[in-house]
Amino acid sequence: MKKIFQHPARDAKPTLWRTQGERENSPEFAESLAREFSTDATAIDGKGSGLSRRDFTKLMGAATALTGIGLTGCRRPEAHLVPFTKSAEWTIPGKYLYYASSMPTPVGAVPLTVTTTDGRPTKIEGNPLHPASNGATDVFAQASILGLYDPNRAKEITRNSAKASRADLDAFIAQIRSAAVTNGGGGLAILVGKENSPTVERLRAEIASQFPKLLWVQDEAIPGNHAVFDALLGAGVRPVYDFEKADVILSLGSDFLNPSESGLGFAKGFAKRRDPKGKMNRLYVVENHFSLTGGMADHRLRVRASEIGDFTATLAKAIGAKLSNSSLSGHAAAYSSSGNSFDPAWIKGVAEDLIAAKGNGIVIAGSAQTDAVQALALGINDALGNLGSTVNSVQTSAKPSASLADLSKAIGAGSVKTLLILEGNPVLTAPAELNFANLLAGVPETLHLAQFADETSKVTHWHVPAAHYLERWGDARSIDGTICPVQPMILPLWNGISSLEILAALAGEKVDGPSVVRATFASLGKDGSTVSDSAWNEFLRNGFASGTAWPVSKPALNASAATSAVQSAPKISKDFEVVFLRSSSVDDGRYSGNSWLQETPDFVTKLVWDNAALVSPADARMLGIKDGDWLKLSAGGQSIEAAAMVAPGHVDKSISIALGYGRKGISHVMENVGFDAYPLRDSAKHCFRSGVTVKPLAKDSYTFVRSQDYQNMEGRNLAREGTLATFQKSPEFASEMDGELPKPTSIYPNPPLTSDLQWGLSYDLNSCIGCNACLVACQAENNIPIVGKDQIRRGRDMAWIRIDRWFSSADHKEENLEMIPMAIMCQQCESAPCEAVCPANATVHNEEGLNLMAYNRCIGTRYCANNCPWKVRRFNWFDYNERPLDELYYGPLAHKGMAESLKLSKNPNVTVRMRGVMEKCTFCIQRIEEAKISRSVKAGASDVTKTPLPAFKTACQQACPSESIVFGNINDPKSAVSEAKADPRTYSSLAYLNTRPRVTYMARIRNPNPAMPGADLVGAANRSAEQAQHS
Amino acid sequence: MSNFFPRWANWLPLQLLVCGLVIGGPITLGIWYYFTPKYTRVGYQPDQPVPFSHALHVKQLGMDCRYCHSFVEVAGHSNLPSTQTCINCHGQGKILPNSPRLAPVRDSWQSGQPIPWVQIHRLPDYAYFNHAVHVNRGVSCYSCHGAVNEMSVVYEAESLSMKWCLDCHRAPENFLRPPSEIFNMNWHPASPEAQRELGTKFKEEWKVNPPVSCGGCHH
Repeated sequence: MKKIFQHPARDAKPTLWRTQGERENSPEFAESLAREFSTDATAIDGKGSGLSRRDFTKLMGAATALTGIGLTGCRRPEAHLVPFTKSAEWTIPGKYLYYASSMPTPVGAVPLTVTTTDGRPTKIEGNPLHPASNGATDVFAQASILGLYDPNRAKEITRNSAKASRADLDAFIAQIRSAAVTNGGGGLAILVGKENSPTVERLRAEIASQFPKLLWVQDEAIPGNHAVFDALLGAGVRPVYDFEKADVILSLGSDFLNPSESGLGFAKGFAKRRDPKGKMNRLYVVENHFSLTGGMADHRLRVRASEIGDFTATLAKAIGAKLSNSSLSGHAAAYSSSGNSFDPAWIKGVAEDLIAAKGNGIVIAGSAQTDAVQALALGINDALGNLGSTVNSVQTSAKPSASLADLSKAIGAGSVKTLLILEGNPVLTAPAELNFANLLAGVPETLHLAQFADETSKVTHWHVPAAHYLERWGDARSIDGTICPVQPMILPLWNGISSLEILAALAGEKVDGPSVVRATFASLGKDGSTVSDSAWNEFLRNGFASGTAWPVSKPALNASAATSAVQSAPKISKDFEVVFLRSSSVDDGRYSGNSWLQETPDFVTKLVWDNAALVSPADARMLGIKDGDWLKLSAGGQSIEAAAMVAPGHVDKSISIALGYGRKGISHVMENVGFDAYPLRDSAKHCFRSGVTVKPLAKDSYTFVRSQDYQNMEGRNLAREGTLATFQKSPEFASEMDGELPKPTSIYPNPPLTSDLQWGLSYDLNSCIGCNACLVACQAENNIPIVGKDQIRRGRDMAWIRIDRWFSSADHKEENLEMIPMAIMCQQCESAPCEAVCPANATVHNEEGLNLMAYNRCIGTRYCANNCPWKVRRFNWFDYNERPLDELYYGPLAHKGMAESLKLSKNPNVTVRMRGVMEKCTFCIQRIEEAKISRSVKAGASDVTKTPLPAFKTACQQACPSESIVFGNINDPKSAVSEAKADPRTYSSLAYLNTRPRVTYMARIRNPNPAMPGADLVGAANRSAEQAQHS
Repeated sequence: MSNFFPRWANWLPLQLLVCGLVIGGPITLGIWYYFTPKYTRVGYQPDQPVPFSHALHVKQLGMDCRYCHSFVEVAGHSNLPSTQTCINCHGQGKILPNSPRLAPVRDSWQSGQPIPWVQIHRLPDYAYFNHAVHVNRGVSCYSCHGAVNEMSVVYEAESLSMKWCLDCHRAPENFLRPPSEIFNMNWHPASPEAQRELGTKFKEEWKVNPPVSCGGCHH
């Protein structure tokens, strides 16, 4: 009997959708549904037409006949085993070694545990001991493994484009030093990025004392903590937020949940308070474009980034009036509004909610917002009594430095003779009005230390390859101020040099391994000079020095500084604004060369290998443009051309564009990737530029590739959400949405699940912020290749985890749009449809409930992928590991072989798959097997079932900052995964198919404020399904 | 109706059958025998850079496997000894300090360049084998590597094919040994029946349950 599934009817106007086409039910979308896979996914040649499968078979037959069945390759190749000559301490061939280290970023060091395999770092994990990490990482830390082995990194020291030796460089530095000794550092300038390194701070003080005339400049493309805090709170004082305590949170254009923006702690603290069984927090977000934080919002208001000042002032006024707080009212009155008005009901609702949660609220402003917004946000927190409770401050060790503008002035005045640029890329990132490339040409001696021979290296005299953080000694402060070591895991692959080595040479210190860092560590000790070996070893072992966090205290807001900051608010034009975003893939451009990150879809737009000028649907209609049409954006004499993309949930009269794209002539990974938005920025470096002229250009449409334009789910309510009220009324609302399920019937024999270990995974939609960390962690752990933009356009991406981003709006209006990110990986069905159709038995079940994939058995029929309801199986259409991505269609004429350095990056316990093989998530079976093996080894000659299995996590689970993924043994009722699965919010996606997935989801709960406008539309993504259920 | 086929065509099926048997049979048998690991792998005995004799070191001198393969009980790989291990005994003023046969070892020690031993037992990249779990759970070196103590030049004694692996994974009682005899190359069960009895006892006591699904070795 044929089994007939009662698929839920597809809603012609869905409330839950991923692409604009799906939302509008366009003919293209209907066609894509009918095709199941994207048009080009099954085409054989590069053009997607012409060579049919039949032609291909003919050609292959002819080729085989011509070649003959040669047996040349039958001789056994001779392989060598090369042991050490001298045994190395701690090294056991084939055993992992774990080192504590940290990745320095402008936000703060990410504390790490680095896994090294036979001397090469292969995997990054968070440091579970460190309070600011708790074992999680962000997407950039995960991808930094590829950054280390990137074969496109700079490899040679050059001087005036000619190769130079290390001795030449040392002589040059020595010459600078001897000149500085005689003239006190006159004419010498050093430009550094924000690295939060105590050793850099120490060496800076050292150099400054020796050479008082030295110009020390610090510059970041996207400024982190705002200098205005120096005035508002005191020199070096910065606010810190405790999201675990906060009941009501208002974000003013702040993407605080993005770990790359604000560190890992905020997401974790926030997620802890999202459990509807506890006291759930409430999040209001005011922003111009959908950010990760906006996706988590209970109430979201679309406001232009430049008008957030107006909004904040209006809110401050309302709160000031309600509380009769003259100080706050004073600040608000000092704001010269541009005359924008906001929904008074929204303002009233937020104000009353914040007042009701006095002392337990947070108002947080975006890090690149104006001084006025920062001051007003702190003013509101002050008035609400949040200061000292949820909003505290730390006294950082940040010392004021000269800015890039100061440096430009000095160069213009001719007072800079030698400029050392130690990392960073000012030629790309400096505001266009400084014309920095021309300025640099006027400096007699310039040196650039960088990992790539980039834009700046091209105009400096010296280019020095920089050591990757996994290749050098160093130290860095994490976001809470705790000092972490940066340890070398491997000798520099291409003779990279660290900035510490150059600074130490300038300061006249000898560099010998960790000596410079150790000297800093010693100077931090209480007695000032000596530090014991054991303390140093503990520092390296734990990955941080406990007790070095900046003490947290109650901030005191300087009222007069606040008033003057508020008065400094820029005048806002009614014209378009352009908003500059930190890219979720390349940050400010520093990771442009990393192909893993280029292929990681943007959090929200799901765009790969590109950025885009994001416009609201209404603006797109007004401008008469669609996805891929070109826009010319001009402001202040500068202009850029960029292709536009319609972004649901975007505010009108505003265009957002991610920074760090559109770079040319550096490495082929960065070529033809996106559009450079830096030229539009002005010196204020705000996140927006107001008064931009927008003109559509009559040019051929640009092709954008998104990882969501295929594999549609026909509105079957994969992602489910409800409100807190719904949850309290019927906690199991999510699984009830399935209605009555068919009786379990299967004509295929299911394998007996006999083992005491039964693996399962629970995924909490309520705490998942959609930060992509799991996706890249999976890529690093499982040797997943990248395939390039063209292949993704054909629907051939390889990432085992797909993070679907659903938009929902119960009333189909732009104002009430919500976002739900949902990771879909292999669901490990107990009754798996893929297994029944495999003719080679390459995908089978084991007794632990895992859906196995034996690559060596796979013959590539792709039947399994066709039969997978979740479309999570990935096929190697080409030998992505062995062939260059631009030569995929050259067949045997393409270059063969993987770059030597990339071979070092592979996980030795996971097979590197070749062409013609299917692959998919395995629940990190290599980690499962490793745990089982170590249990058996420990048991030895005794009953193995009495030995506990060592704790381990899957790669995605380990990376997740919000602890949304729980994996483990569902046979053990006390395991975390069993507890998670017992939660009433748990449901199976596509439960009616009765495949019994081992991956279950926990529905998202929103906590709307009934007093807010549109509150009844919040958390109603599945409304049409619910109504169908009840009718 | 005219005769469409000539008379001789009556013999064609038989002729084809005989031809098929005469030509196809030997090809099938040839592939059956010559193309399996039992033929292609067993007996592989390449020349090594140093003429190291296991027969001398293990059988005559009685050295334990783990003096050189020191991490076999803790790691997936059974490591080859570093040059330092050789020099422990063959260094200056010790055993055969100037033997020409040990010249590669001395060169390696002086230059720091490792000795390029030729790999004999080689699994495909997609198969994962872990030494530690086997030697800790009653599988002797002997079961896979044969009587290495008798070999002056090591050769591959077993086929290491998947069927060969599964023969033991499906019936480990035929191979499990007392933990004390894992590294004893001279220990042999009294009889197959005695082995099965002993093996069954260990299998049940230790709950030996080797994986027989793909994921145990292929991931």
